[in-house]
Amino acid sequence: MQYLLKAEIYKLFKQSKTYYALGALFSIELLILFSAYYQGTTIIDLLLENLKQKFYFEGTLLNGNLLIYLILNTLWFHLPLILMIVVSGTLTSEYKDRTLQTIMLQPVSKWKYIFSKYLVAIGFTLLVVGLLAASSFGLSYAFFGKGDLVVYLNGLNFFDATDAIKRLQWSFLSGALSMVFFSVASLTIAILFKEATKTWIVSAFFLILSNILLKVDFGDNWFNQLFFAKLNDTWQYFFYYTINWQQVIFNSVLSFAYCMLFMGAGIYWFHKKDIG
Amino acid sequence: MKRAAILFIFQILWMGLSAQEIDADLLKVKSRLDSILSFSTQLKLEVDISFINMPVKKAQMYYAKGKKVKFSSDDFVMLPKRGLDFSLNSLLEYSFITVDRGLEQRGAKMYKAINIIPTDKRADFSIATILIDTKLKRVMESEINTKKDGSYVLSFQYNTDARVLPDKVTVNFEIEKIRIPINFMGKDTELDRKKMKAAGTKTGAIYLTMSNYQIKSVL
Amino acid sequence: MIISGTNLSKVYGKRKVLDDVSIGCAAGEICGLLGANGAGKTTLFKILFGLITPDSGQVVLPNQSVKPIGGIIEKPALYEYLNAYDNIHLFASIQGLQLTKQEIKAHLIKVGLPTDRTDKVENFSMGMKQRLGIAIALLNNPACLVLDEPFTGLDPLGVSSLRRLIADLAEKEKLAIILSSHIIEELSKLCHTLFVLKEGKLVNAGPAQQLIAENTYVYNICAENIRKALCLKNYDVEYKGNCAMVTIAAAEVPTLIELLAKEQIYITSCTPELSMEKLFETNR
Repeated sequence: MQYLLKAEIYKLFKQSKTYYALGALFSIELLILFSAYYQGTTIIDLLLENLKQKFYFEGTLLNGNLLIYLILNTLWFHLPLILMIVVSGTLTSEYKDRTLQTIMLQPVSKWKYIFSKYLVAIGFTLLVVGLLAASSFGLSYAFFGKGDLVVYLNGLNFFDATDAIKRLQWSFLSGALSMVFFSVASLTIAILFKEATKTWIVSAFFLILSNILLKVDFGDNWFNQLFFAKLNDTWQYFFYYTINWQQVIFNSVLSFAYCMLFMGAGIYWFHKKDIG
Repeated sequence: MKRAAILFIFQILWMGLSAQEIDADLLKVKSRLDSILSFSTQLKLEVDISFINMPVKKAQMYYAKGKKVKFSSDDFVMLPKRGLDFSLNSLLEYSFITVDRGLEQRGAKMYKAINIIPTDKRADFSIATILIDTKLKRVMESEINTKKDGSYVLSFQYNTDARVLPDKVTVNFEIEKIRIPINFMGKDTELDRKKMKAAGTKTGAIYLTMSNYQIKSVL
Repeated sequence: MIISGTNLSKVYGKRKVLDDVSIGCAAGEICGLLGANGAGKTTLFKILFGLITPDSGQVVLPNQSVKPIGGIIEKPALYEYLNAYDNIHLFASIQGLQLTKQEIKAHLIKVGLPTDRTDKVENFSMGMKQRLGIAIALLNNPACLVLDEPFTGLDPLGVSSLRRLIADLAEKEKLAIILSSHIIEELSKLCHTLFVLKEGKLVNAGPAQQLIAENTYVYNICAENIRKALCLKNYDVEYKGNCAMVTIAAAEVPTLIELLAKEQIYITSCTPELSMEKLFETNR
């Protein structure tokens, strides 16, 4: 099994398309960082408009923490899109090049093979989120420094710099789990559709649908609680003034369960299907 | 002799007339405050506004007679525009008249209520009501109706009888609910709409706790 | 028998792709599977490999090793963004083989590939890709090698050198090798045994030379002045340039050549023209 994992990792990093994807992600992050900075003053003015009448402010809110928060807001759409393309590509390219057949002609266990692809997909996702987190923290603080964070969520929430950093870190962790879910889903979609373009379209559709359904309010019932699309917003919970840890843990466990479900289904289908 | 007497009576009458314009107790408090040349203090700020959540903040405040109050802080702090002027100078800057409103009770004690009404158009408030502790010669409460920035009620607390600078100040004010455009950030929608419609103008408060006063005064 | 598939059938939708086909090959034997495009050759191979489950019948691989059977289906499928060395290393590692540099080189040499080329496989010619595919198929020493249309896309030199390689592998390594093709000439020179597949059914099977001889009625005899041959008047002949397509039984050929020599007509070649219709005849 470890050889399969090593082989998958080797293949992933030997292909130039992986680096194109990483390059794209970092470029986007930089772009967001600087555009957020230029927009930042307007945003803060907007938030504090009513208060300016009665108060004056000492210190600046336009600091690295606010920018990381703004990066976080936009990250969870373009990141899974690119991740899904890379991850599903690890399988669709093997179908297209028929190297999958060559592999299956060797004494390799089918379920172990696909399971190792899932594990590498998850690992890669976590790596990418980690790198983006590290770079956004690094760049934001380097250029714009630390400071208090203001978030509008059910009111104006102000967080101390140290508190803000912790919350931002937790958000990245929570977001990472969502990203793992999408990566796993895209690999399962690849197993179903095999062909690259179809897989991208279905994956993109899945992502967009999830995002749309996220905004729809199904009311305060079990569906709203358990539907997977709703879980992708869990990172927001860290920016309520008091963190509802129970809800966060519940959502995270549920997300994890969904990941396992998609992965299990994928492995089952792959194992059952004929190759070629 | 007769001329001197008439002059003397005239002077007394004149003094009496002038004295009617500014309340004596107010003047006593003012002169006490005026003896302070400068001071610095550490502030602890607590915000109590319904739609704002902010942790306790710390700042440093510097006052020098005749100059604007200065602040410094490591964090981001929100300071009320009014209520940080302990010397009464902002109220008494331009010409004004006072009206005695009698006594008002706060808690177990009675304080003297005085209206300060500016007569100069340049003053930035329309009327202020001050509660003075006549025995201890200090301000207990002041309600200021500004022309542009709404009204404030400032309550002062002192830890000992001797102090003229407060140890705790509570600033109460009115504030309008925030209007934020929807497409901005995060999970704003749902609940807030209902609350916002119900809201309108609300009241809020800021609690300032002073410590470690470094005072330079005229003895 | 190193490998045998008995009574294999497979249906896709309404089409019966394989109908009760049996095939087998022994160590050191080269077996050829002849059939037109769409006859079911690739499907049969996929069943032998275990990639597809047959609707009926079974495949028996007596060899109990880790990898009893290796091969190539359709074209060799390799990682085009890796070089030959890395491809072998990768495919070896996933089946648990930790090959040293020397061992990988030995694999490359065995199939006649250069050991000093480091460029990506996408730059390789078809012939080189076939060889690399065979090298990968031979990892873990299978007893049986199955090659699906290995001569496709090769130039004449490529074909002959691949033929030599396959013959060597059967001879020296004692592998059981099954080849498929839709071109008889490729198989006739190489195979010991021939299986003929038509529309999913096995219509003919047996030792290659025997099968060819049994189904050859026409010989293409070429000589400079063949048209002047008198002895050919007794036969049904079609002339093309310096060659005569003579309808004649195999046994009579040596006699005819003697007669031609007596007329001082010295032949330059005598090629049997296999009758495909006869070979593929279904009612046997």
